[in-house]
Amino acid sequence: MKTPTYALIDLNTRASSRYEIPESLYRRYIGGKTLGARLLYDLTPAGVDPLGQDAVVIVNTSPATGTGAPCSSRFNMTFKNVLTGGIASSNCGGQFGVLMKRAGYDGIILKGQSETPCVISIVDGRIEITDADELWGKDTEETQHAFPKIYGKLVIGPAGEHLVRYAAAVSGERVAGRCGAGAVLGAKKIKAIVAYGTKRPEIHDREKFAKYVDKWVRFLRGHPMTGESLPTYGSAGLVSKANATNALPTHNFKYGHFKDAHAVSGETLADKYLLRNSSCISCPIRCERRVEVDGKDVKGPEYETCGFFGPNIDAVSMENMIRLNYLCDSYGMDTISLASTLAFAMELKENGVADFGVSFGNSDNLADIVGKIARREGVYSDLANGSKWMSERYGGKEYAMHSKGLEMASYEPRRSVGMGLGYATSNRGGCHLNGGYLALLESVGVLSMDALSTSAKPAFTAFFQNALEAISAAGFCLFSAQSFVPAVLFKIGPHHPVTRAIGKIATHLGFGVRALLWMMPVLRFNSVFLFPHAEALRLVTGLPFYTGSFVRLGERGYNMERFYNYREGLTKADDSLPDRLTQTPQDPNNPKTVVRLDKMLPVYYRIRGWDKDGTPEKRTLRKLGVQA
Amino acid sequence: MPYFITEDCIGCTACAKTCPVLAITGAAKERHVVNIRRCVSCGVCGRVCPKNAVLDGHGNPCQSVPRPKWKKPVVDTARCSACGICVTWCRAEALRISFPTFRGDIHVFAELYQPNKCVGCSLCEENCPLGAIRMAEVIA
Repeated sequence: MKTPTYALIDLNTRASSRYEIPESLYRRYIGGKTLGARLLYDLTPAGVDPLGQDAVVIVNTSPATGTGAPCSSRFNMTFKNVLTGGIASSNCGGQFGVLMKRAGYDGIILKGQSETPCVISIVDGRIEITDADELWGKDTEETQHAFPKIYGKLVIGPAGEHLVRYAAAVSGERVAGRCGAGAVLGAKKIKAIVAYGTKRPEIHDREKFAKYVDKWVRFLRGHPMTGESLPTYGSAGLVSKANATNALPTHNFKYGHFKDAHAVSGETLADKYLLRNSSCISCPIRCERRVEVDGKDVKGPEYETCGFFGPNIDAVSMENMIRLNYLCDSYGMDTISLASTLAFAMELKENGVADFGVSFGNSDNLADIVGKIARREGVYSDLANGSKWMSERYGGKEYAMHSKGLEMASYEPRRSVGMGLGYATSNRGGCHLNGGYLALLESVGVLSMDALSTSAKPAFTAFFQNALEAISAAGFCLFSAQSFVPAVLFKIGPHHPVTRAIGKIATHLGFGVRALLWMMPVLRFNSVFLFPHAEALRLVTGLPFYTGSFVRLGERGYNMERFYNYREGLTKADDSLPDRLTQTPQDPNNPKTVVRLDKMLPVYYRIRGWDKDGTPEKRTLRKLGVQA
Repeated sequence: MPYFITEDCIGCTACAKTCPVLAITGAAKERHVVNIRRCVSCGVCGRVCPKNAVLDGHGNPCQSVPRPKWKKPVVDTARCSACGICVTWCRAEALRISFPTFRGDIHVFAELYQPNKCVGCSLCEENCPLGAIRMAEVIA
């Protein structure tokens, strides 16, 4: 069996060596974020400084990366989270992962710290580390232009160099945004990593795989969500849906409905600014937007950016939003964390605590301020530390919208309480994707469960967290899973009695999902409708992956990440949300519009096999093979 | 099996310029070398060499072929999902994803928009996951 080959790069000595992944690890963790979590646990001692000398950064791919399967250009970065101190994994669809694999390596492990700015080039299996003083200080666009066009690049911008805690790493037009991926590279003084090669990825059963890819692509293109809605409106199409269900964070999560949401919605973006849609490599969904602003053809904003640079700061200017999105990419910053921190600063000003020159309703001066944050100029250096640090310094913890330290995404948890549980328990902090993305079933999808009921939410959250973890680990984009809601429900619409009935029944299916989680080892079937990823992974690796074992892989990875967090000292107290979400009802007349974490957490822990304090129990870890 | 350049090479740089994966290096008027780690055996160097100085993977000398006879990709637009893998392989920048024909058009596909730049390496055909590209002699 061909196991993944990683490169171990020591930046202190600028030496590199091959690092073969043992077969036992490969069989259990496959690749991507799950294998990354295991390696990070093994390679670093507890309590290292994420920006220090001993920190390890892992950039790796998965077996399916670059094979040509739909949505399979993803690569993953795993490191110690700069914002939370727990685990961080950042997934990106840029061309770097595919080209690193073509260059002959499935991943790289970065150790130590360079004294001077450097560039790592992985070309045809050879690794070279060269000085890059002339590139230091340049933005991500200029830096990428400094290398041949055919190379895969992963670069940081000025924000990463200045160790902005939510700096991002950029590959092409796509961004490994969250958790401070740019900051950890900046701390190691790595300006860019480039890769090129012509090797083709190994596929166990090439013929069957080609047939399956054909079938899967047809299915994705025929599905109303992945074949019509996402290509037409992109992820920004969710803005109006979230607004209709009061789940669109407005005024720093104070309200859930924005009266001018139409101005910042995906529909307006498509009508007025869209030039064409675009995609990551090997993606038939094509949800990326290319838009025109100031006579320039730039990448359009995603849903999170639309929500945060619009309603969450009470701004209605789409042009400003597109400019800010472009600026954030060129400085190399995460739009979610940055915009959420800005909204927090605005609320500080509103409450008369501190004034950073930003105020609700005004996004005209933000372009200037974003630049100052990226370069950590003067007082704006505080904003570069994220909202948790700010709330500890200036006060206002009840409205600093983060969980564990990572700012939450643009779904209002008080109108989708399952998403709230997801934010609180997510291993990397307030992340919607790591948190199970239950908002899709509660408030922004066609199928709506009772968004205020806590019933069944812990079971669904655990199930979807495992499933999304497994999809990421296998190397696929999570949007490829948006087709799991049957196409017929889109045709009859969200208000049809049948759709409503299914949503209602799902709200009481907690026991069913718990039984399903328990039955995982015996679910030996694969279907293009449910988890096509499992079949694709089976054909690529030759390992027996079926729906059950595939979701079990996600469960193993999720527990591994939790175990890492436990070692780093994150406890039950960190599985929390700001008081605004758990104490203050969104609708003053409806006391149910709060996130009842106290009700859901004990059930969730029990389903997961963790003890009352949220620590994975020994028998759970033994069952999953995380610990012998 | 990688290709090989013999002593007959006069260093005209034609192969280095057309190689779709930049696997050939060498100074002008000096013998060129194929990077065996990178060569994908597409045969383009053999076709452009005026001196027949290129041996294929089996050691047979390649015959030069006039440019109009080179095969070019033909895209099955109904099958193509515009995933862009072919575009990432095409260094000649002969392929691109087509532009929408009207506002809101989502049905785009790969197209050969600069046929004269295509070197006929057939990397796009080999790497298309859907088999939507076929190499054929195109009469311009």
